[in-house]
Amino acid sequence: MAIPWRLCWRWTTGATSTRVLETICGFNGRSATFAASSLRGTGAVACSGYEGMSSRPVHTTSKGNYILTSRHKSRLLYPTPKPCCCKRIHSDAKLKDPFTLAQKDLNHLYDDIKKELFVSKSELKSLCDYYFDGKGKAFRPMIVVLMARACNIHSNRDGDLLPGQRSIAMISEMIHTASLVHDDVIDGSDKRRGKTTINEVWGERKAILAGDFILSAASMALARIGNNTVVSVLSQVIEDLVRGEFMQLGSKENENERFKHYLEKNFKKTASLIANSCKAVSILVNSDPEVHEIAFQYGRNVGIAFQLVDDVLDFTACASQLGKPSATDLKLGLATGPVLFACQQFPELHAMIMRRFSTSGDVDRAWQYVLESDGVDQTNYLAQRYCQEAIRQISLLRPSPERDALIRLTEMVLTRDK
Amino acid sequence: MSLRCLLSDELSDVAMHVRKLVGTKHPLLNTARGFIYDSRNNLQMRGLVVLLMSKAAGPSQHTASDLLTQDMVSGIYPSQRNLAEITELIHTAFLVHRGIVNLKEWTNSDGPLKDMQFGNKMSVLSGDFLLANACTGLAQLNNTKVVELISSAIGDLVQGTYHEMPNSLEDNSLTDEINMVTWEEQTFLSHGALLAKSCQAAMELAKHDKDAQGLAYKYAKHLSLGHKLNSDLQLFVKSSSADPVTFSFNSAPVVFHRQIVGQERWCHQLQQAKTIGRQIDYTKLRSTIKLEKGVTSTIDLCHYHGNKALESIQCFPSSEARSALENIARAVTKF
Repeated sequence: MAIPWRLCWRWTTGATSTRVLETICGFNGRSATFAASSLRGTGAVACSGYEGMSSRPVHTTSKGNYILTSRHKSRLLYPTPKPCCCKRIHSDAKLKDPFTLAQKDLNHLYDDIKKELFVSKSELKSLCDYYFDGKGKAFRPMIVVLMARACNIHSNRDGDLLPGQRSIAMISEMIHTASLVHDDVIDGSDKRRGKTTINEVWGERKAILAGDFILSAASMALARIGNNTVVSVLSQVIEDLVRGEFMQLGSKENENERFKHYLEKNFKKTASLIANSCKAVSILVNSDPEVHEIAFQYGRNVGIAFQLVDDVLDFTACASQLGKPSATDLKLGLATGPVLFACQQFPELHAMIMRRFSTSGDVDRAWQYVLESDGVDQTNYLAQRYCQEAIRQISLLRPSPERDALIRLTEMVLTRDK
Repeated sequence: MSLRCLLSDELSDVAMHVRKLVGTKHPLLNTARGFIYDSRNNLQMRGLVVLLMSKAAGPSQHTASDLLTQDMVSGIYPSQRNLAEITELIHTAFLVHRGIVNLKEWTNSDGPLKDMQFGNKMSVLSGDFLLANACTGLAQLNNTKVVELISSAIGDLVQGTYHEMPNSLEDNSLTDEINMVTWEEQTFLSHGALLAKSCQAAMELAKHDKDAQGLAYKYAKHLSLGHKLNSDLQLFVKSSSADPVTFSFNSAPVVFHRQIVGQERWCHQLQQAKTIGRQIDYTKLRSTIKLEKGVTSTIDLCHYHGNKALESIQCFPSSEARSALENIARAVTKF
């Protein structure tokens, strides 16, 4: 079920841009037409359930490339989609709020996770419990429980979570946390979520062990669900996470390859977990592979959008909001979306990317270039496209409050500021 | 399967990067070297024991089992073979993760800091890669009981390894209370759990009953403990060589000794063994220990575990594989 990642992405002449957009994101013809017509500035295109969108102005640079600009600072392309049959916006908004809907299921999530981390030595226990203090966003478990309910309703059952589905919500958060703990050692980070990192407090050796333990506990919980397919699906995530980290080690020479590499890395590091967790909960309630695919695609697209926005925030947010310092990616030698786009306007960035911003002054100069370019806007636009695809996918499920919450969630991904 | 993993792009990348570590003092270099060159460590003993155990247990007796005897190759099911490889992957992953250094303890004599940082990065990544492959391998076994069992073994490995680490920079193990019961528990976690649970899992994969699983587990548990005791004893039973000796105060003969002579005498003996520069004279300390019953107690315990291992394996039907396992148990506990 591999999603074909195509190569070329360069924003070139209008004739090829439709294909280009379609191919980067693996979208089908329908969304591509939607985008293409927006490129040509033809105004509103009808999409079921959504209000018409404003046309996006297009202009060419001196180099003959089309570059999209947005006049407004908001990342939203169109206003909040309303459900087809209902006009009462305010109560709908409350109903559809993902956090509120997921609240009940997530109430004791962190406590339950801590129960899974059954360890005798008290110091190791403190390390393992360190990030399960309820201060995380619990973004992934929220998506998982909403998707589970949406799938349950789609499958003619009541919305309530199956026990295995709730486990998957916990497991996804555990796998995510274990990878964060290891990432902090790899990156030498001293702050996360406003706290000093485990490696900074207890040292690298113990931090790695704690990460391994959380992973083993997640694996045990996974096995206990008793479903071989679900075990396979989520084990794949663990492999993807590591491969994603490896992908960050190398830099690609070729500009075209770079962007493809970047998107694939984003999938492995961020989207795979969400996509496969969504797929796993759908497997538990429904045997139709089309439903699994819908769940997977929603997760994948939201996941990539999430990472793209994350990469933007690294440039635009200031340190206090994030809980960790920004321009981190540059300082780690990583070229993310905004930089890759900015490269087109500022070819000086090529050399800097290849040497991973290691020369003194590179980080600051690169940051300047990015902020002067439209790299941020372009990355935001790309994130929007992924969210649109996520919405398109999830809309194929039977209507439910949870399904609508998942739609609302894509907006939240786009408009978050930390 | 582990061959595919070893030949993967990722590990080739790591190999390239590890070359940059040559000349530095990062432990990963030793681990990698040991993996390639040291035939003793490279025996892949755990995998071998799992394979032999699978063979010794023979085909499944369960009439309800859907495992076909013709799927067996040399008397071992493919799933059991894969399990043996997975066990080695996990063992290696932990060897690699154990080699990570605490950067705060870095001093100038360790070489450039960035070498240590780089070595750490490679260690984390390669260890994680091996573990990830173990996880996907486990998933492919299509047996959630086995996944749970082996995952719990990983948890045991973590706990066992964690116990070996001091609580702070000041090493209190010199004067802390410790006894052999605790030693056995901790050593089982770090040196025995993986093999024991793997052997049990191998039985499960072939749909053998709980009794067979228990016997396999016991054999591996006692074998592992016996092996560790043997390894700890080497320094105390070999005729003294010219090489300077150091040993861990957590090694069995020392722990036994401390338990036998008591806290006070031990502290006194430590003092006696310190040179003018307050360094410990290990050779002198070793002589002191050899005068008491620590060493002989350890030898007795080693024999005990060897016998327990033999007891367990002899419940299986007689075969070449069983004989091989008996020989391993005898060899490991021989003096």
